[in-house]
Amino acid sequence: MEDVLDEIVSSEDLQKFEKIFHEQLHQGNVTPKAQFEYAWCLVRSKYPTDIRKGILLLRELFNSHTEGKRDYLFYLAIGNARIKEYNKALHYVKSFLEIEPANQQVLALERQINKRMEKEGLIGMAVAGGAVLAIGGLVGLGIALASSKK
Amino acid sequence: MSRCDFKIVLLGSEHVGKTSLVIRFVNCRFNSGTPYQNTIGAAFCAKQMQSHDREFNVGIWDTAGSERYEAMTRMYYRGAHAAIICYDPASLASWTRLRHWLQELRTVEEDCKVYLCGTKKDLLDTGTVQREVPEDIIATYSQGLHGHFLTSSKTGENVDELFQKIVDDCVKDLKVMKIVEEARVQLQKEDNEKNKNYCYC
Repeated sequence: MEDVLDEIVSSEDLQKFEKIFHEQLHQGNVTPKAQFEYAWCLVRSKYPTDIRKGILLLRELFNSHTEGKRDYLFYLAIGNARIKEYNKALHYVKSFLEIEPANQQVLALERQINKRMEKEGLIGMAVAGGAVLAIGGLVGLGIALASSKK
Repeated sequence: MSRCDFKIVLLGSEHVGKTSLVIRFVNCRFNSGTPYQNTIGAAFCAKQMQSHDREFNVGIWDTAGSERYEAMTRMYYRGAHAAIICYDPASLASWTRLRHWLQELRTVEEDCKVYLCGTKKDLLDTGTVQREVPEDIIATYSQGLHGHFLTSSKTGENVDELFQKIVDDCVKDLKVMKIVEEARVQLQKEDNEKNKNYCYC
């Protein structure tokens, strides 16, 4: 399986969709389609600043446009993984799998992210990070319970 | 070494069964229990194939059929050696879409070999669905293309035959083979360079 995380957009494609997006932005009416196409190019750019911009555009779409949520989640995971924000990427993967547990594309993406984390020695950190979150959650729950008893 | 010798792209409306066709071909299975899931963007997979006593690495791009991805799909058929345009014989709408892809390919990728593929043959055979696309129209459209196959991803009928025909056609094409050979030489060179670097360690 070729790595979807390695796929790089050609500069002419990026420019093409950038132009459409900016034209619509200028007219004050950006369609979800144009924004998604531009963001889709950005998260596949080789420059982290482009990828971050793409992530912002996708998050905006995710919050405002219900129809394409699964597509936005998928590329949010890809974008974050590409700038090595692996925990965020896995968070999006998990959200996706809650809706479609058997999605092969997303399961493959999850495997690739885990493989990269392993390669970069980040698995331990993720576990530790998860533990911290879990403890934080328990403490929070404890506080909530204690305060509800009053 | 992960580079592919041949690039095949699958096109067609959503729900005609492009992903099922790829899964049948690559993994030799059909999962009737899995609910339908739209492909996001495009999915890639590769398979080793034989033709004329030689091994080839074939890369297959399974594109999303939904219109949301229409502008993006173009990026995936760029540079493809062959395209399989799928339609469902029981859906006239999917056939109308097929003509759109056909036109696009002819203008954008003139050298790309085009194969038509009618899917879900098992459903036609058992009478579960009625044919909506007349066979004579398909025959007319298939003229001048590289082939037409009626496949069933459920039973596997004609699936291997379709992909084998594509690879055989590519191998017979001197222009394509020249590029393939050159790419292989280049890859070998790069590998040698890499190995050289490791020796210094």
